[in-house]
Amino acid sequence: MIELKDVTKKYPNGTLALQDVNLKIDKGEFVFIVGQSGSGKSTLVKLLLKEEDPTEGEVNVNGYEVTAMDHKDVPYLRRSLGVVFQDFRLLPNKTVYENVAFAMQITESLPKEIRRQVPMALALVGLSRKANMYPHQLSGGEQQRVALARALVNNPSVLIADEPTGNLDPETSYEIMKLLCEVNHRGTTVIVATHEKTIVDEMKKRVVAINKGLIIRDQEKGLYKDEDKNSQIYN
Amino acid sequence: MRIRTARYIIKEGIVNTYRNILMSLASIMIVIATLVVFGFFLLIALNLELNINVFKELPELEVFCHEELDENQVSYVEEAVKNSDKVAKYEIVTKEQAFEKFKKRLGEGSMILDGYDESILPVSFIINLKDPSQSTEAVEEFKDISGVENVSFHQQTIDMISKVTYWMRFISGIMIMILLIISVFIISNTIKITVFARRREINIMKFIGATDWFIRWPFVVEGVIIGILGAIIALILSGIGYNALEGRFNQDLLSLNLMFFKMLKISDVLAQLMLYYLVIGFVVGAVGSFLSIRRYLRV
Repeated sequence: MIELKDVTKKYPNGTLALQDVNLKIDKGEFVFIVGQSGSGKSTLVKLLLKEEDPTEGEVNVNGYEVTAMDHKDVPYLRRSLGVVFQDFRLLPNKTVYENVAFAMQITESLPKEIRRQVPMALALVGLSRKANMYPHQLSGGEQQRVALARALVNNPSVLIADEPTGNLDPETSYEIMKLLCEVNHRGTTVIVATHEKTIVDEMKKRVVAINKGLIIRDQEKGLYKDEDKNSQIYN
Repeated sequence: MRIRTARYIIKEGIVNTYRNILMSLASIMIVIATLVVFGFFLLIALNLELNINVFKELPELEVFCHEELDENQVSYVEEAVKNSDKVAKYEIVTKEQAFEKFKKRLGEGSMILDGYDESILPVSFIINLKDPSQSTEAVEEFKDISGVENVSFHQQTIDMISKVTYWMRFISGIMIMILLIISVFIISNTIKITVFARRREINIMKFIGATDWFIRWPFVVEGVIIGILGAIIALILSGIGYNALEGRFNQDLLSLNLMFFKMLKISDVLAQLMLYYLVIGFVVGAVGSFLSIRRYLRV
């Protein structure tokens, strides 16, 4: 479970990235966080990962009081979260298999466990046959699937995807989204930060819209734009 | 830490060292240079210490008669020594005793005495002075006794060696400090380059939940590898160099009959040298990488 209470984030250069944000995401939910670049959605993701600390307010993630936690506990918070980025962030000199296994080496898993879990994660994203290839031999969509397998291999309770389809064509994006849905059906909470309208509209999931650091809408089965309201602010 | 994690960390440390081979080699070189200089001074110090001990075992003041003196003449010298108001105590060293002592001091080299007997050596008197500060006057007085060939006074030699040793320690201490600082700096710079080369990887590791030390340890291993490799090569170089020098030195000295100045055998100093080199190499490498990690590895 994730909860933000009265969170304000002000960067040292004066930018007010988030303002009095209150947000609660329950276990097993699928949430889109939408907004334009600079709206504050990336900051929100950074707060969840404790890459940034809020200026004010409280952030709770998976039972960790993120704002007050010790630096040495941060890795354990991050292990409970799977993360996928727009730029995939794979290790170029490791194979697909090694990239995924690496996430388990870091958590000091048993070799037996690694040999069991990695093929399962690769099967889930449909890349079993490309296990021995290197990232540069794969398409963008495939690379993102590797990143997804890596994020999931430690069985995190929450998966955070920051613009996961930002570098992908619409068809591939759709496949990634389908995968995220499947992950969600297995019980993992999924949070997707995106500004891609078509995807959000198609999926009909909970939508949290952020603009200029404020949550302006939080809607079940929402669309990217709220048609009842003035849509100009998004364009 | 689990064994497989330790294995991973050591492997990564080796990979780091290898990937950054040029800088690693430069760092290894500077460690070698530091240790060779250190070893040079250490070996001189050890040898001086050995020889100063040889001198310290010698009597403070010794009066040597001509070797051809007969018994009467020797007793004349003895009387003169006995009656001197500067002498607190004296002891006579007969030709036989002198020969035995000399043989002992030569050790392995004593075969050069084969074919000689005690007659080649003089009778001497070992003297303790009432007042050591009067030694210069005493030496003059004893030299004037007829039948006295030579008066040896070792305190001066001991003082000189002590002084040389002191200054050498002082100078070498400063030089070694400077070299150590340079080594640490260069190693830390090498590690810095590796950290920069791998910053993307480090960032990824952070996001998938690697602990700080899981990320840091490979860089420490890299520094230690550099230090230890430098130490091993330096040990080989100094060992070979010293052994060659010692072989020639002791041989030449024997033929020059200057046998009271000896050099230690390589086998006597090797263990000590190895210990120093490995410890210094290890510490320099570890300190260098810790500095770099503290300054450049934000985790």
